[in-house]
Amino acid sequence: MFKKFKNYLQSYCSLSARCPIGVFFSVFTLGILFWGAFNTSMEVTNTETFCISCHEMEHNVYKEYKKTVHYENRTGVRATCPDCHVPKEWWHKVVRKVSATNELFHKIMGSVDTPEKFEAKRLELAEHVWDTMKETDSRECRNCHAFNSMSLAAQQKTSQTAHKRALEEKRTCIDCHMGIAHKIAKNFDSNGEMHKMFKKEKRNCGDCHKGMQLGEGW
Amino acid sequence: MEYDGGERRGRKQWGRLFRYCVMHPALTVSIFLLTGLIFWGGVNWGMDMTNSEDFCISCHEMEQNVYQEYKQTIHYSNRTGVRATCPDCHVPKEWGYMVKRKIEASNELFHKIMGSVDTPEKFEAKRLVLANYVWQTMKENDSHECRNCHSFNSMELNMQKKTSQKAHERAVVEKRTCIDCHMGIAHKLAKNYDSNGDIHKMFKKEKRNCGDCHKGMQQGDGW
Repeated sequence: MFKKFKNYLQSYCSLSARCPIGVFFSVFTLGILFWGAFNTSMEVTNTETFCISCHEMEHNVYKEYKKTVHYENRTGVRATCPDCHVPKEWWHKVVRKVSATNELFHKIMGSVDTPEKFEAKRLELAEHVWDTMKETDSRECRNCHAFNSMSLAAQQKTSQTAHKRALEEKRTCIDCHMGIAHKIAKNFDSNGEMHKMFKKEKRNCGDCHKGMQLGEGW
Repeated sequence: MEYDGGERRGRKQWGRLFRYCVMHPALTVSIFLLTGLIFWGGVNWGMDMTNSEDFCISCHEMEQNVYQEYKQTIHYSNRTGVRATCPDCHVPKEWGYMVKRKIEASNELFHKIMGSVDTPEKFEAKRLVLANYVWQTMKENDSHECRNCHSFNSMELNMQKKTSQKAHERAVVEKRTCIDCHMGIAHKLAKNYDSNGDIHKMFKKEKRNCGDCHKGMQQGDGW
């Protein structure tokens, strides 16, 4: 092995002595090809088409997302899968891509390859995403949404109060905005902490549960 | 004679450098790669730097006129807090088109140096001409920069006002482009805008309400 490498190095040196320009150009071209291929594969795996090429995504979370405001809305500004789930900054993106190998592993293992298996794992998977978002101060949300650009006066009264409180208490988006693009797991908040928090804030049940009146569910 | 000598000496030096490179291939290749990297990084860094709002409003021509107007609009501040900054609307996202736009911007640098619009009065006098350039470009590229964010595929017409629904349905059928109607949404319209009345004629034919463009104006007020 080592000898082979030494041979290779020697032939490289003698080649660059005989034809230096050729070697420069081949190194340059190789560099461009390598860099280009790396970036291209980053871009290709950063499209919605790639995400939903797995039926685990296409049949579960994608279908749910298609009913939400992030897919279709008044102004026609859409957020696609990678907008929320892959960082925009180069370095953070590479880190996310590397950790995605775990997802490939579970794809091969078929860990969530039926709707039932997916449902059973939903809370755990969602909590992974929520934990990451709490750690990064909901960085991917804030790539599009910023308090600086937000006109509270254009919002509903409840949202205004909640956002003012969020600013004062330095809360992050995902602290409240869970399950906005995908269904929330049935066993979500089984220890009741979220409900306690919202109760303390005197939030209306209807804020999260459509049509539910205060007092119905506590 | 002296000149020839100089040339010969020059050639000799190039030859020496060439031989040095041949003797140290690894070093040479690394220098090549490093130079390439720095050059490439420099170009991209320069593109990024000049693609920020801070750079745009570092010229008082932008900061005191169009930027102040834009700050009052929905693209600056809105319900959801999703903002479009200067380059989002005025610089293409695709690399090739972006480079082309950056090169064209040298004309803007020239006029900055000439002081063509360096007072509010001069700016006002030029406003329609400048706006027309932007509209023309947007018509030619089918409002490409608008569509980087807004697309009909993601648009729920039911959530819009009746007038907007109708106008957008018509736009899809007649293959209109965004800027055909949405002029002056982020900056003030020039006073001498539509002086030949073409736009007014078009909207009159479509039975649009005056209030769609002129806040609070009733039908028949202005025709």
